[in-house]
Amino acid sequence: MTELRLLLVDDDVLVRSGLRVILESEPDMTVVGEAGTGREALTVAAETDPDVVLMDVRMPDLDGIAATAELVARDPRRPRVLVLTTFEDDDYLFRSLQAGASGFALKRSDPDELVDAIRVVARGTSLVLPDLTRRLIASHAPSRARGAAALPELTGREADVLRLVAGGLSNAEIATELYLSRETVKTHVSSVLLKLGARDRTQAVIAAYESGFMTA
Amino acid sequence: MPPTTSRLPGPAAEIATRLRTLLEDARPGWPRRALYALASLPFGALYLALYAGLVGSVVALIYGVGVLLILLVLATTRGFAGLERRMARDLLGVPLPDGERVRDRRGVVQKLRRLVLAADTWRALGWLGARVLMGLATLATLLFGGFGFAYLGWGADWNALTALPLFALMALDVVLTLAVVDLLVRLAAAVAPRLLGTAPEQRIAALQQSTRRLADRNRLARDLHDTIGHALTASLLQATAARRTLTPTDDRPVQPDFARQALGHIETNTRAALAELDRALSVLRAEDGSGDPGAFAPPSLADLHDLLAGLRDGGLPVALVVDGETDDVPAGIQELVYRVVQEGTTNVLRHAGTPVTVVQVARSRDTLVVRVRNEHTGQPDSRPGPGGGRGLAGLRERAAVVGGTLTAGPTPSGGFDLVAGLPLPGAA
Repeated sequence: MTELRLLLVDDDVLVRSGLRVILESEPDMTVVGEAGTGREALTVAAETDPDVVLMDVRMPDLDGIAATAELVARDPRRPRVLVLTTFEDDDYLFRSLQAGASGFALKRSDPDELVDAIRVVARGTSLVLPDLTRRLIASHAPSRARGAAALPELTGREADVLRLVAGGLSNAEIATELYLSRETVKTHVSSVLLKLGARDRTQAVIAAYESGFMTA
Repeated sequence: MPPTTSRLPGPAAEIATRLRTLLEDARPGWPRRALYALASLPFGALYLALYAGLVGSVVALIYGVGVLLILLVLATTRGFAGLERRMARDLLGVPLPDGERVRDRRGVVQKLRRLVLAADTWRALGWLGARVLMGLATLATLLFGGFGFAYLGWGADWNALTALPLFALMALDVVLTLAVVDLLVRLAAAVAPRLLGTAPEQRIAALQQSTRRLADRNRLARDLHDTIGHALTASLLQATAARRTLTPTDDRPVQPDFARQALGHIETNTRAALAELDRALSVLRAEDGSGDPGAFAPPSLADLHDLLAGLRDGGLPVALVVDGETDDVPAGIQELVYRVVQEGTTNVLRHAGTPVTVVQVARSRDTLVVRVRNEHTGQPDSRPGPGGGRGLAGLRERAAVVGGTLTAGPTPSGGFDLVAGLPLPGAA
């Protein structure tokens, strides 16, 4: 199993030190850096090249949403961003997803759930917290994106796959649903992401809702 | 439907339409509506007597003893308005809020002032007058209809030839009578919200209060998020991590140092969170009673900018002028200044519309002067004279507590001026 390189971004040193101990006790995870502000996170990310950034939202200097947007602008493929929040504040969460975060998790969630969320974000084969994420996007996206560009031409199969991705299904679940092999599903998802210009499935779901392909 | 198909001749069509309307109107509530119509007879008579009493006391006023009588009549009017509200609500289904209770005002002077000056009182009097008219109209309709019915039934020449038309006329008489009474009830239901509903002034006050409460609540939520939420999250993560360090695995020994440190952090964080919780709960308790919810984080001079920005968004052209250093002004004085500006600008909006307004904060060595002054707008300024209203009275008391003064009154140019002079502690 390849080792996951993590960057912890939070303005509270106690949150960071707690997370570090929890995550380092996982055999496949290493914390390669910590940052206390969004701006610091950009510097440390450039130095350490992490796979996943665990990003707090509200921070001094540069907040997590802006820092996420900046990270994505630098390199759309890596690192992936998992937003960590204290409370489920819909508006913050949607804006961070829109900025390019791959998912979010609550700081108070069970350590095992948190670790799972990080692995899911790193692999990209499913949404993190699929139900919550889907509902969040469905309720926020349509009202914000009047006149958004229509989706590019998708084949029938690709449209089916996108519909199920937006429904929160993982690759394995889509394979079962459509009687396809996982490899085939993976290929379809990749080509959908490519056509949509989406960096991951979370962004594809946002595009699906904003374009009106999916309706709330 | 095209007009040529099945059209009944004129009067018959009209009767049919009226009958249909009547049937459609015979909702489950019709006995209540009928009761309401009948009630207007005795109540109308009662209110007529009340009016007579009012006229009598005005006459008595000339002889100097009428003041008490007038107050009595007005108080009775307000009392009956309460009853009328309940009747309109229960019998007609008109949504009416409870009226303001003069009784709840503090102090005899406040009670009397409210009784005589509140628009509610006079609107209530107007409503009672309307009920007198409604009673008279109902009475006239019933008498007229009844006479007609009796004449047709017993006075007319009934024979084989006239029986059918006479019978039809009697039916028409009943239908028309009921229709007119129903019309009167509808009219009452339509007018009731205007005369018995919430006065605009009360609506504004309620709106302001709910806005303030919402703002306080939002601030409280944000504070809770930042303080208690943060402390608990950090404690939770430290505790989770500490448990892991105390559970050895093959490649990781127990790390008691981290656990000890973590417990120390948890202790500190939890203590701080409990202190914040205590403060937050005291604010929530104060919100239930008469306490000041602003006590949680009292507004300061720095908050004036936000306050005025909000007013500008609301359409008031207001400028802020600050003279002198204000950083070292004690928090209590800063809050009082904020409240004076808040009250002053709210009063401008309430009484003068949106005239050009200047807020001035001037600090000398030993005093701080805050002033809210607005230009004349052409709109008559309805503010109570030099004394000012209830909000200003409260502020004047608070100013007096710190040894300061507060004056309010119209300017020669037709505007309004509110000035508070507050001594700064430490000044000789």
